[in-house]
Order: sequence, then structure tokens, then C-alpha cells
Amino acid sequence: MNSNRKFLVSISALFILWMITAAIAIFSGSYSISPVDAFSNLNDLTETIFFKIRIPRVIMATVAGGTLAMAGAALQALFRNPLASPFTLGISGGASLGALLAIRSGLAIGILGFSMVSISAFVFSILTMLFVYSISKVGGVVATGRLLLAGVVANFLYAAVVMFIQFFSTFTESLQTMRWIMGSLDIVGFDTVWKSLIFVVPGCVILLSLTKDMNLFGLGDDVASSLGVNVRRMEKKIYFATSLGAGAVIAVTGPIGFVGLIIPHILRMILGMDNRIILPSSFLLGATFLTAADTISRTIIAPVEIPVGIITASIGGVFFLWLLIKTKKEIIV
Amino acid sequence: METIINCSNIGFSYNGTSVLDGINLNVKTGVMLGILGANGAGKSTLLKILCGLLKPKTGESLFYNSSIYKMDRREIARGIAYIPQDPMFAFPFTVEEVVLMGRAPYTGRYEFESEADQEIAQKALETVGIFHLRNRLISEISAGERQLASIARGLVQEPRIMILDEPATYLDVKHRTEIMNILKSLRDERGISIIAATHDIFSSLFYFDEITILKDGKILAEGKADKVITAELLSLAYGIDVTVKKENGRVFVFPNQ
Repeated sequence: MNSNRKFLVSISALFILWMITAAIAIFSGSYSISPVDAFSNLNDLTETIFFKIRIPRVIMATVAGGTLAMAGAALQALFRNPLASPFTLGISGGASLGALLAIRSGLAIGILGFSMVSISAFVFSILTMLFVYSISKVGGVVATGRLLLAGVVANFLYAAVVMFIQFFSTFTESLQTMRWIMGSLDIVGFDTVWKSLIFVVPGCVILLSLTKDMNLFGLGDDVASSLGVNVRRMEKKIYFATSLGAGAVIAVTGPIGFVGLIIPHILRMILGMDNRIILPSSFLLGATFLTAADTISRTIIAPVEIPVGIITASIGGVFFLWLLIKTKKEIIV
Repeated sequence: METIINCSNIGFSYNGTSVLDGINLNVKTGVMLGILGANGAGKSTLLKILCGLLKPKTGESLFYNSSIYKMDRREIARGIAYIPQDPMFAFPFTVEEVVLMGRAPYTGRYEFESEADQEIAQKALETVGIFHLRNRLISEISAGERQLASIARGLVQEPRIMILDEPATYLDVKHRTEIMNILKSLRDERGISIIAATHDIFSSLFYFDEITILKDGKILAEGKADKVITAELLSLAYGIDVTVKKENGRVFVFPNQ
């Protein structure tokens, strides 16, 4: 099958999968609303639940899961390493701290309120990325060991600062932060969605414009340049765009882990390596995955909602282990 | 004959250490130029400068009379194909996908390769003799086959000149010969000029029209292959006394110790 057809088939199939998942998601929850009710006899309560809670939440899950998965795929291309992701590189940790600092220092209040939180998350993301990149690059090549260690260290350092802030917080503040760090899509209304889209849309558009360059980049800096890629500019754009997208998402949802790692991985096993297919597919499958995970988190022990981060981390952790066992004989370098 | 690459007074240094100094080079259409020299003589650096991948500290490199540093990268990519010594394949693309990447300078940012592009890639795969490997992963095939895939990738760029950095150094004698024969036939049948850095002195007379010997970043000797391959010059170039015997276009080089 040629690439063009593969692209169309996979994108259509994944889009349909997302639609089905989203449809199931908006009609399930602790308060039951049937499709018939939704279209013919909505009362005040069901209308509020449907339009202010369910639909915005499904859209937020779509945006967050899609962006994190696509950012993961882009970072894997940038680091030329299948283990790179916003989570493993410490970017999630950085964004969380950035967002938390902005919230605690009162920057969240005001007209620009939410945007300041996103900007702070973005700044911490990009700084983390530059830190990890410079530490892990030895002689022009990213060393996997250093990459993962630098990510782990960054995560620990940020966690230490978060704990320090927690220690001096009131009980309520501390509980809020705790909930947020577990990763949750608990939003009300479309406001949060729009505000994150301001950052997410440009981020994703930039990444999608670089997919061909990412393929060539896999052949090494020199060959990519000799084929017409401006390598340094491409690298900067990927830093910027992934920080922008992932930072804005994490500012809302908290650090939801593993989506950026698992999704591109599964897709590469099925669809091959072409980033022109992998990046948009990652968005759709990431969106589907997080929507499904969130639906599980809302319904598994309803009416109690467990943070979606717990669901993604447990699925992701098991997957990651399976991956390590499966690839035992191959060398991941 | 038309001049493709013309560089004058090229100088380059890494961290204050001079790597190249006062290099002049002129490459014409349909010429196969070999660059010899000891490890660290500056061969790879010179090749990268000729491709426009590195900017020299002094001098100027012209590609068809325009300064290569002022040209658009995609435009250069349609004229010059660069094959490094040890190509990286960070992700296991299929052989065909790798070869198709050579069409990048002709396709748009959001485009997939057209049927025509695919035909060009198929022909290139046939030319280098690895059409049967097209659906294999680049990570599964041998080093020699990977080098052939790289050459096919360079070929679909439809270049005027191919610049190769030790294309055959790591390969066994069969693949080495195969690659040199392919390069020669590209020159003969399509008029593609070839510049290749090489350590293979033995077959150099047979394949190369001209040879340039580098020593410590300077040109030690240049000219017709037959004139340049001498015991005296090779001894100087590699810093070891050698005896040279020539027989039917083959060269035999023996160290004297």
C-alpha cells in the first residue's frame, strides 16, 4: 500500500474510532442520560450535565490526549529515540511546577488568569527540554542512558520543589494540588477548553508542518541537511511547539503520563515509521485513549471519580514493562 | 567540459586547529575524482564543504558559478547528493521508504510522493540491484546493502554530482567492487560526476579519472590518477615507506617495513 493510501485509511479508521469512543463517553456517567433524552427532553439538570460537563470534558480529553501523544511522537523524532516523551523527559514535571507556581503566586487570578498559568507551564517545559537535550547529547548524538537519567533527575528536582510548596500549604490547597498532580479532566464549561486551544492549535500545526523533515532527520544531521532540511531551525520549532502544546495541556489536566509514550509506539508497530502518518494518527489515537480512560475513571466506581492519571499510568506502566520484556533481545540505544 | 564545482582557497579549522588550508578544486561534468589521504587529513571536512554542509573559514565554493552558501538548501539537494561514511538510520523505515526520501527536495511540505516519484525510486533500486529488498527494514539488511540503499537514495535526487565519504571502507571485497562498479556506470551512462574519499588505493587507478591527495589539510598532489599514484607521493601522504607496482590498471601497494 503506498503512503498516501495508508494515510487516508489510517486517519479515517482512527477518526471513526474516536467518534465512537466520544459518543459512548458523553452518554455514560454516574447520572444516566440516554441519547433519546439528550435530543428530545432535556431538563435543566440534564442540560447542564450534558453541555457544561460531559461535552467539554470529552473535548478536553480529546485535546489533551491528542496533544500529548503527538508531542511524544515529535520528541521521539527529535531525540531519535522511541523512549522520549513529555513524561520521560521531565517536561511534564517542569510544566506542572510552572503551572503550580503561577497558581500559588496568584497569577491565575485576573483577566489573563489562566493564560499566565499556561505561559508559566510553557516556560518551564522549554527550559526542561533544553536542559535535558544539552545533558543527553554527547558528541552530537543523544545518548539514551543520559537522556532518561536527565529526565528522571529533572522530575525528581521538580517533585522536590512541589513537595516543598505542599509542605507550606493549607490543607485545602494541598489537597487541590494533590488532585491536580494525579491528572484529572475535571473541568466545567468550555472556557478552559478555549483557553488551552490558543496554545495547543499553533503547537500542533507547527508539528504537523515538520513531519517530512522529521523523517529525514532520522537519517542524521548531515544527510537531512543535504536533502534540504534546515536542521537547527527544525529542532527549535519542535522544542517550541511541543512545549507550547504539552505545557498548555498539563496546566489544565496535570501531568497525565504515558500517553505520549505508548500511543506513538503502538502506531509505529502497526503503521510503520513515516511521521507524516504517525503524528496525525497519534493525535487521533491519543484523543481516543484519553477519552476512554477518562470514561473509565468516571464510571468504574461511580459516583466516585478517580483521577484519570491513575488509569493512564497503570495501563501505561504495564505496557511499558511489556515493551521492555518484549524488546529484551533487541538493544534499545 | 562544464565545471560543476569550483572552490578556491578553502580554509577550515575546528576549535582553532587548522583542518584545511588553501584548497583549490575544480570538478567537471562526468569526472570521477578520488580523494586520498591519511585519517585526519581533512577529507570528510572537505567533502562537507563541497556539499555546503559546512561553511569554510576562508575561500569560496561555487556550484555552477553560484556560491553554494547563498543557495537554497532544496536547490542544492536537487544538484548534489551526499552519502556519508556511516549513514545513520535512527528508525527502521523500509528500504523503499529510505530511497523515496531522496525525493524530498522535489515534494512539498505536506505531500506524499507521487506515482512518478515511486517509479524513480524503483528504477534506482533496480540500478543498484536491491529491488528485491525494497520491503525489508533498513535495520535488517547488511551494511553493504544499506550502503547500496544510500546510493539509491542519492540517485533519486537526480543529482549532477554525487559526493561520497568512503563509500566502501567498511565493506567486504564483493560489495566494495559492486559499489565502485555502480558509481562508474553512473558516470559512464548518466554523466553524473563523482567525488569519493577513499582508502582503497588498489582499485583507484581503475575507477578514478583524477586523484587528489590531501595531507594535513593541504593538497599534496593532484592530477591524472596514473601520475599521482607513485611510491614517493603515497609514502609522503601516509607517512610510511611503500613500494608501488602497477599492472593492468591495478595498483599494488606494499609497506616497506
